[in-house]
Amino acid sequence: MYNSLFSQLSILGASLALLSGILLLWRRNLSSYVDAFQWQSVVLSGLFVIVGYFDHNPELYLVTVIFIALKVFLIPRALRRMQTRFAVERERDPYLNVPSLLIVSGMLVILAYAVMRPVVAISSLPTRGGLPLALGLVFIGLLVILTRKKAFTQVVGFLILENGITLLALLGTYGIPLIVELGVFLDALMGFLVMQIFIYHLHGTFESIDVDHLNQLRH
Amino acid sequence: MTFLFLLIPPFAAALLAGLVRPYRSWVGRANALLSLVPLGASLAFISRAVSGAPAPTFGPNELLRADSLSALILACVTGVAALALFLGPNLNVSAESAEQVRRYQIFVNLFIAAMLLAVSANNVGIMWVAMEATTIFSALVIPLTLTKASVEASWKYILIGSTGIALAFAGTVLAYFDFVNLVGPIENALNWPALMTNASALHPEIIRLAFIFLLVGYGTKAGLAPMHTWLPDAHAEAPAPLSALMSGVLLAVAIYAILRWKAVVDAVVGPTFTNQLLIILGLFSITIAAFSLVIQRNYKRMLAYSSIEHTGLICLGLGMGPMGIFAALLLLISHCTAKSMLFLLAGNILHRYNSTKIGQVSGLLKAMPWTGGLFTVGLLALIGLPPFGMFVAELALFRAGFAQSNPWLMAATILLLTVAFVSLLRHLNKILYGPIPEGVGAGENFGWRTALLFINVAVLTTLGLTLPAPLVTLLNQIIGIIVK
Amino acid sequence: MANYLLGIGQGLLALVLAPGLVGIVRWIKARLQNRRGAPPWQPYLDLGKLFAKDVVISNHASWLFRLTPYLVFSSTLAVACLVPSVFVLLPFDGIGDLLTVVYLLLLGTFFLALAGLDPGTAFGGMGSSREMTIAAIAEPTIALAIFGLAVRAGSTNLGHIVAQTLANPGLAVSPGHLLAFAALFIVTMAETGRLPIDNPATHLELTMIHEAMILEYSGRYLALIEWASGLKLFIFFSLLANLFAPWGLATVLTPMALLTAGFVFLGKLALLALVVAVIETRVAKLRLFRVPELLSVSFVLALLSVISSFLLR
Repeated sequence: MYNSLFSQLSILGASLALLSGILLLWRRNLSSYVDAFQWQSVVLSGLFVIVGYFDHNPELYLVTVIFIALKVFLIPRALRRMQTRFAVERERDPYLNVPSLLIVSGMLVILAYAVMRPVVAISSLPTRGGLPLALGLVFIGLLVILTRKKAFTQVVGFLILENGITLLALLGTYGIPLIVELGVFLDALMGFLVMQIFIYHLHGTFESIDVDHLNQLRH
Repeated sequence: MTFLFLLIPPFAAALLAGLVRPYRSWVGRANALLSLVPLGASLAFISRAVSGAPAPTFGPNELLRADSLSALILACVTGVAALALFLGPNLNVSAESAEQVRRYQIFVNLFIAAMLLAVSANNVGIMWVAMEATTIFSALVIPLTLTKASVEASWKYILIGSTGIALAFAGTVLAYFDFVNLVGPIENALNWPALMTNASALHPEIIRLAFIFLLVGYGTKAGLAPMHTWLPDAHAEAPAPLSALMSGVLLAVAIYAILRWKAVVDAVVGPTFTNQLLIILGLFSITIAAFSLVIQRNYKRMLAYSSIEHTGLICLGLGMGPMGIFAALLLLISHCTAKSMLFLLAGNILHRYNSTKIGQVSGLLKAMPWTGGLFTVGLLALIGLPPFGMFVAELALFRAGFAQSNPWLMAATILLLTVAFVSLLRHLNKILYGPIPEGVGAGENFGWRTALLFINVAVLTTLGLTLPAPLVTLLNQIIGIIVK
Repeated sequence: MANYLLGIGQGLLALVLAPGLVGIVRWIKARLQNRRGAPPWQPYLDLGKLFAKDVVISNHASWLFRLTPYLVFSSTLAVACLVPSVFVLLPFDGIGDLLTVVYLLLLGTFFLALAGLDPGTAFGGMGSSREMTIAAIAEPTIALAIFGLAVRAGSTNLGHIVAQTLANPGLAVSPGHLLAFAALFIVTMAETGRLPIDNPATHLELTMIHEAMILEYSGRYLALIEWASGLKLFIFFSLLANLFAPWGLATVLTPMALLTAGFVFLGKLALLALVVAVIETRVAKLRLFRVPELLSVSFVLALLSVISSFLLR
């Protein structure tokens, strides 16, 4: 069923992307989060190239270049600069302890497989095996956003969520029309910049980027 | 061609504000005047739609298209935008706040441009891009003054809003996936008309899954519970004209997105699925909002929760068949008119009383008779008293509900609306009457600003007394688009 | 008949090689740390010395204390007979099963933990509780990881799993296999008491886990237990080597095949020993409450391996 080289490579890539997402649930070190995101983006750009090659779609090469420039260089560099600026090293204990979080993430991947059953069934693309993994990555991004206490980690969780959706689009439809893809990148970049600005504001007003302190507004 | 008149002025206004440093008052006046151009363009679209002409398109691959639904929402957006720009802080500016106002002008105009693009885009992907842009631009204006509360509100807004929009994108991708699987990557694969014509061939399970993502995603922007947590904070902490824009029209734009997708999904699996989801989420939103209104202590948050309640009502209406959609659209128009007026007035109140707490605002009728009067009118309109448009709309909603044999649902809704009704009146009472607090000046001049808000009152009253025929035609056309 | 003899012979081979394996790992570590280190056959000499010595037992110890070394040794030896090291499709097919392996290993761990508690010393109890914390997550992970492989093979029999991978070489790089390998590797480090989970060379109370449980043992009992832990290392290495990279295993009973299989197997063991020694030298010991986090990661990896094998058939 998934025996062609294309199929194997795409599933391998999707698995690696998912694993780097799980890294965010395990490690406490903020710089390891940035590394995980960077490696994940590298794997995704590799997948872009592979799909572009096997599908004979040169547009995807252009998309790869922009993707690499944005998510492998620009954004991680901005994240690292933010990290040194605020001198945050480690995440505080999340709302749920690490082993439970990891088991929940395993359950979420099973859920993703269940949800994507009809989708995989009707597709005939060789890359369809990786679709549940992409949705699993989306769920893990959501889990990180919900259970983390540092605004920085929430941003990285959001970036992982976006990577998951990009992976979904790539494996399911071999990419979306170029103009929409460019718009998505632009949005991603601007969204990230705004989040960065806001973290600076957070640090300026609260003297910390701990989301726990955001309890001024109730009811 | 009209599209250029629609989209270029806000961009031009933003550019103008960006180029002129330091900020000067004439920029604000120019922006306000520029905002009238899109208003004219949208009215032109409405008249074209009502006259029965086919929807005008523009751009390569029919990038932009303005059918009846788009025209209606465009009119709402441009109307409130014009109001906000005229009544914003941009017309008379002191030296200290110049930089803030300049930033405000740039981003508010970009925000309006993004909303206009979202509503007039023919392409599902472009609509998504524009919606994400609205989140970004509006988020930049919320923390205009850096206080703990505004920073917290803006952080929650951008995080929850962006996450929601990302999920909506996942839904879009799933729908596109199904489409491409069936038809292949054709030219206009992501255009609404193409989706509608090929709808019958799409796979039900995939489209259902996609709609769930889309409802959660765009519902976050619309303020549907349980994704509403950002809304009270953001709408309360934003500067008044931005709150008017966000509460009045951004919610409308999000509902527009849901409505468009509902049309597609209904063509594939029939209306029951989306109706059920919309009714559940709508009822949930009304419940949460009604009970939160009881304990409110901040009048801007009160207005924000009322927005959640109305979004819930609108979604409830959308889930009840053609009659319900008619009622929902009327609700949308009335809410947009009333809420924008209320938030702009709330800005005035804040300016005078220097506090957003209901407890610290009293004697409004004595201190600011015109503002107080208009605020009362707006709030009475909001809670659904005749002779205002909301009353007619709610009546239509209940008629639709009973026609669909949903008496328990309607009973629950009436109960919740009563709770909201009573709470809002109680709060209004506290604000209007009583002694004027220390240090607050009394008396108010009747300026052109106040006069402008009478337009809102006029619209609400017209809707309440009669439904003008062109409006009815327009609404029926929209129903025709959605319920194929 | 010859099959059965070969099966038992495999067990004896494991018995003979196991202390050497422990010695090799120790020796490589020493060399990496710029020490001369004891020669690789030192564990044999240690075993000999221990067998010659007297046994000293606490007054508070019960029959459990005396039974455990024999039980642990025999259960581990039984597993060694079941795990394919040189020859595939063992005759103990009916019982050479994944679940049998896991339960036998768990039996040994369970009794060792009890024996740590038995004499009533503080160190023993502490070691037992720590060991149980680790075993609670590690044992299901072994089962899951091998199960991930078993799904593809259609049977939990170890021999069949190996045969399946031999038949389809492409399976070896499928995500299911890779994830299972990662999970099983982490569990190997945990079960055999290697860094970063437990330091095999320490006798500080803060860092002991396995050593704490066996602190009361002496003489031939200690010899049996040390031999059993060496066997455990051997077993896990065989699992890692032969389930995931089974090429070189003998499938026919010719002397030539058996000989090449033997050499290939020794090569794989040496490679794994090198890898483990390098990892032990490079990482620092994890703080105790971090150990469940690492093991949960291996659990999730095993879970993902099962999911991907199951749903990507």
